[in-house]
Amino acid sequence: MTTTPEIKYKRLTRTTGRPGFSVASQSRGSLWLGPDHLLCVFSGGYTETYKRFYFRDIQAIIIRQSKRRLIWNAILGPFLLLSLGALATYLLNRDDVGIVLFVFFAVIILPPFVINNILGTACICYLRTAVQVEQLPSLHRLPKARRVLAQIQPLIAAAQGGELTPEAVAAQMTESIAPSPATPPGAAASEPAQPAPPVI
Amino acid sequence: MNNALIQCPACRAWLTEGPFNQPDLVPCPACGVPLQTTVFPSFFLKTSAGPGGETALIEGESCCFFHPQKKAVLPCDGCGRFLCALCDCPLDGRHYCPTCLETGRTKGKIKTLENERTLYDGIALSLAILPMLIFYFTVVTAPMALFVAIRYWNAPRSIVGRTRIRFVLAILLALMQIAGWITVIVFVSTRHDHHA
Repeated sequence: MTTTPEIKYKRLTRTTGRPGFSVASQSRGSLWLGPDHLLCVFSGGYTETYKRFYFRDIQAIIIRQSKRRLIWNAILGPFLLLSLGALATYLLNRDDVGIVLFVFFAVIILPPFVINNILGTACICYLRTAVQVEQLPSLHRLPKARRVLAQIQPLIAAAQGGELTPEAVAAQMTESIAPSPATPPGAAASEPAQPAPPVI
Repeated sequence: MNNALIQCPACRAWLTEGPFNQPDLVPCPACGVPLQTTVFPSFFLKTSAGPGGETALIEGESCCFFHPQKKAVLPCDGCGRFLCALCDCPLDGRHYCPTCLETGRTKGKIKTLENERTLYDGIALSLAILPMLIFYFTVVTAPMALFVAIRYWNAPRSIVGRTRIRFVLAILLALMQIAGWITVIVFVSTRHDHHA
């Protein structure tokens, strides 16, 4: 059997750790764009594992706002206030300790605080297919998630025959959950009753 | 999985009313977490049963290699065996039998089935760099780094494309460490001979 050629991928996101505050992250993930699929690459040190999501199989993409940015602001904010307090001490008392503390905290705390707020609202992205709901790696900020979604949405629509308007989605959703007409008494049911929706 | 509904990822409530495919975040009706849900046409597709293969009715008709009672519809693109509709495994525009599909996956011949790779360039570079923290280890790890870099020079690298720069750096560092150790050994032995 001849070997199939290597596929060229275009990078969508940089490699970042999994979201959350785990102390030792087991793997880092990145997102790549293939000719007809999305590729999630998880790097675990000296091995890489891959998950492919073909455009024709993607049913929905859900972006959910998270509290990550607020939590980081809550952690870094008190230290920033401490540095301002140290600066105030220096200005009032001309105390060298105050200016040292201010510079120390400003250098260590201010850059991540500013970056955390510049990057935008935090979010978590999920991709749904017929058999799974997968969290997409390295899409932790809303502006980046929207940029990536803007890139892949036309490709998914092209693979599936077009995009759906909000009205079309609402109509089809209502139609799909509408109860079936009651069967007349004595008639055998043609299909068994649908089970309750499973919890994912 | 129930295709009819989407769940809120935060509270698991069923999103029956949407709104969907909006450009902005909209609060979940149940928990209020802002969501942006984009639904695609495949969400509403009903899955149907796949083909099971037709029974061969005519004497002498080409039959499937794996199911002699079923009519062959096409050959495998890997091994050429005749396949019925049930055995046909279409992938990337080609048709494979289950055996070739499994072989292609395990031997890495079908790239789209590959789901794991070992990064030998990272291993070689780590062997060259990390032991420098305790330098004495490099007398063992430098040759190991050199061996890994040369042995796996042509091995497949990351599927998303990586240059051989890590191999090159590992080889250079390993050679420098080996040269350093040779220098140390020669220096010590000549000093010993001199004192003797």
